[in-house]
Amino acid sequence: MLGYTVRRILGTIPVMVLISLLVFVLLHSAPGDPAEMLLSDEATPQDIAEAKARWGLDQPIYVQYWRFLSSAIQFDFGESFRYRETVVDLLIQRFPATIELALAAILIAVIIGVPLGVWSGARPNTWVDNVSSVVGFFGISMPSFWMGIMLILIIAGFFNWLPSAGRETFGVPGERITGLYTVDSLIRGDMRAFWDALSYLIMPAVTLGVNMLGILMRVTRSAVLDVMHEDYVTTARAKGLAERVVLWRHTVRNALITIITVVGLELGTLLSGSIIVETVFAWPGIGSMLIAGLNVRDYPLITGLVLAYTAIFVFVNFVIDICYGAIDPRIRFDR
Amino acid sequence: MTMIRRNLAAATVAGLALAAISGEVAAQTKSRVTIGVTENISYHNPYADSVSQMYAIWCSTYGCLGYFDFAKGDYVGLLADRWEVKDPNTWIFHLRRDVKRHDGGPFRAEDVVHSIDRANNDPQTSQKQNVAPITKAEVIDDHTVRITTKEPTAPLLEYIFDRLMITSKELFDKHGQREVDRRHPLGFGPYKVRSIQIGESMVIEKNTAWPGILKENPDEVIFRVLREPEARVTALLNNEIQIAQYIPPHLVQRVENARNVRAEPTSSVEIMFIAMSPKHKPWDNMKLRQAVAYAIDRETIIKTILQGRAEVLHGPIGPGQYGYDPNLQPRYSFDPAKARRLVVEAGFPNGVDVEFFTPVARYINDKQISEAVVAMLGQVGIRARLMTPEWATLWADVRKGNTPFYYLGRGSVVDPTVAIAQYFETGGSPRIGYSNPKVDELLRKERQTFDPVERKKTLNQVFSIITEEAPAHFMWRHQQVDGVSNTIDYQPTPSGRILSTTIRMRNPG
Repeated sequence: MLGYTVRRILGTIPVMVLISLLVFVLLHSAPGDPAEMLLSDEATPQDIAEAKARWGLDQPIYVQYWRFLSSAIQFDFGESFRYRETVVDLLIQRFPATIELALAAILIAVIIGVPLGVWSGARPNTWVDNVSSVVGFFGISMPSFWMGIMLILIIAGFFNWLPSAGRETFGVPGERITGLYTVDSLIRGDMRAFWDALSYLIMPAVTLGVNMLGILMRVTRSAVLDVMHEDYVTTARAKGLAERVVLWRHTVRNALITIITVVGLELGTLLSGSIIVETVFAWPGIGSMLIAGLNVRDYPLITGLVLAYTAIFVFVNFVIDICYGAIDPRIRFDR
Repeated sequence: MTMIRRNLAAATVAGLALAAISGEVAAQTKSRVTIGVTENISYHNPYADSVSQMYAIWCSTYGCLGYFDFAKGDYVGLLADRWEVKDPNTWIFHLRRDVKRHDGGPFRAEDVVHSIDRANNDPQTSQKQNVAPITKAEVIDDHTVRITTKEPTAPLLEYIFDRLMITSKELFDKHGQREVDRRHPLGFGPYKVRSIQIGESMVIEKNTAWPGILKENPDEVIFRVLREPEARVTALLNNEIQIAQYIPPHLVQRVENARNVRAEPTSSVEIMFIAMSPKHKPWDNMKLRQAVAYAIDRETIIKTILQGRAEVLHGPIGPGQYGYDPNLQPRYSFDPAKARRLVVEAGFPNGVDVEFFTPVARYINDKQISEAVVAMLGQVGIRARLMTPEWATLWADVRKGNTPFYYLGRGSVVDPTVAIAQYFETGGSPRIGYSNPKVDELLRKERQTFDPVERKKTLNQVFSIITEEAPAHFMWRHQQVDGVSNTIDYQPTPSGRILSTTIRMRNPG
């Protein structure tokens, strides 16, 4: 297991280097210049040249990349052109917000999507299946920016149930511990802060999670349908086990490999969706910051944030690989 | 709709319980005003950006020498008490003696000199252009500063009044550049910096020691970045925020129909224009440029696409901007027959093919407007292909002078000298590539003329030539609409800058 973990960690290094190279080359090839975007409308060519020299943009691209890479090894991704703060500091400030949003979205998708898929797969072509399919298609079909705006208009605007955007009410949250406001408030036992944080989290998390929910529902349904026809399920039934036990212990457990694989793969879609959702809901995570960085060609910020997204994706898929062993005893990593 | 509301009443009760706890709905107090803004809050360093919104926030907190009062139509002092032009190259600024630093420290002339130095030499500065006309700043005594300019610069106040933040030299020397902005943001203005969440929000609180601060001015002002217009409007209607900046035309009615808020319109000082660069063919032909001006029906575009929320420009500027003359000539009316004739006279009897560039979603309904312009140009034989590059790409090309024909805006045009020189003086910038020795001479003369009547006269000669030769066709100024809660009195300024002292609580408590 240890050997497998080390191999996987080492395996992420070339992935990260390759991604950084790709991002670097693509960014520098794209038209637009950070100095021209960030300096005033009235900045002179000399002001622009000075800013470029200050940011090292007057150097050849391979020199810039080498400098970036040699610093990145020490977790120094440089200073954001736009925010004039180190990318690492910005990541520390913003990362927990994105993690909280992503976790809440996954939670919503799993808690609703998996049971719906299981019930739907266990009772094909019934009204349960039909309703679940509609929910699934709805989730898959809704573009997140549209869904977000609709929630703002209806839930916040029409009914005034939830705040329209942001992450907190000024003055309500207390001491930060993990940076996940809902978790922090629970640790502190501050229920007012918890409800405050939750009220801001619900709409963006639903918007972000609904797509994964739809896909999970469809995949779970399909996996359960497949497993239901396996011999061991027939055997379980023949032994006289209750249908509930057959379904949840024998069928769902065997379908879990497919389900968690999809969760891992869909995480990429979820993270890219968070960029839009954070912008719509003014959620102060790394997604909305990435958009701000892209608009002004903030090279260090964009590269740092993309690498952070890559790291999350790689890490979660690594955890999912580990989970395979727990779900299916036949899969072991120590050989 | 009423039925739906009734039927869902039970569910609403549950939702309201959450909303009541949730925050700003409940946390709204009479002495706090939250403003939904669109521009980013990016720095602790007041010299690090050149964003209009931040100039106003820093001016309210650190303090600035003065600002343009649109109600009075003139510059008024904030930290400067009065000023005089000693000779065409020398200005004397007399500073207020009744102002103290937020921690009670003194406000002195050395702070102004230090601030000019920081705007010029701070490692993070984006404000060099604001102090570019200055060669020397000297302390005469504790409350008097002498500023020497490279050449006579009549519009100096436009450069340095609310675009030069005054920070403390003493604190800078004590704590150093990085620490002072982050840990000791103590200024001299009517509000104090309380907290900054980069990219998210900024909180400022009333400096009760500021001479003349009112009980009605809010105790706290929170600036929240809310880029989505729907989110801003919804937040305003829910009383999560009390001012929502820049309501687009299609959402204005929603604000107007609400009971607890109102729409406050004002004419923006951003001038919208279509540039036709004479250094690129076929735009080197003046008749073709004029044909464009006659071919576009601005009134119809304003009435339909902009829903009446813009004001046609006859010349580069409009009412309220420095030097505006309502009788400026020539004027372009919508005359497609004349436009068609001009296209033929320009040497294109079979029409001409061009590319027309527009930003998308940067200005109000920019793409829809450009689509209408393309159709109107097609009617007179100018077959324009609409190009919609991403903003960063378009802007880089415009700045390099690589875009011959485009729709754009120029903001913050209060005193138009800087903007006009930037776009139309030879060597001002490559953005349009227009050059006319007569215009250059008049602009030089105007900058050296301190008599306002004479200066306005010279400026209008420039405006006439530019309008006639049409290197740009001036379209309109948008009507800027802010949504404002009925709990406060507030009138947006044409520059879009929000000075917190202009906000008054109706029931200060």
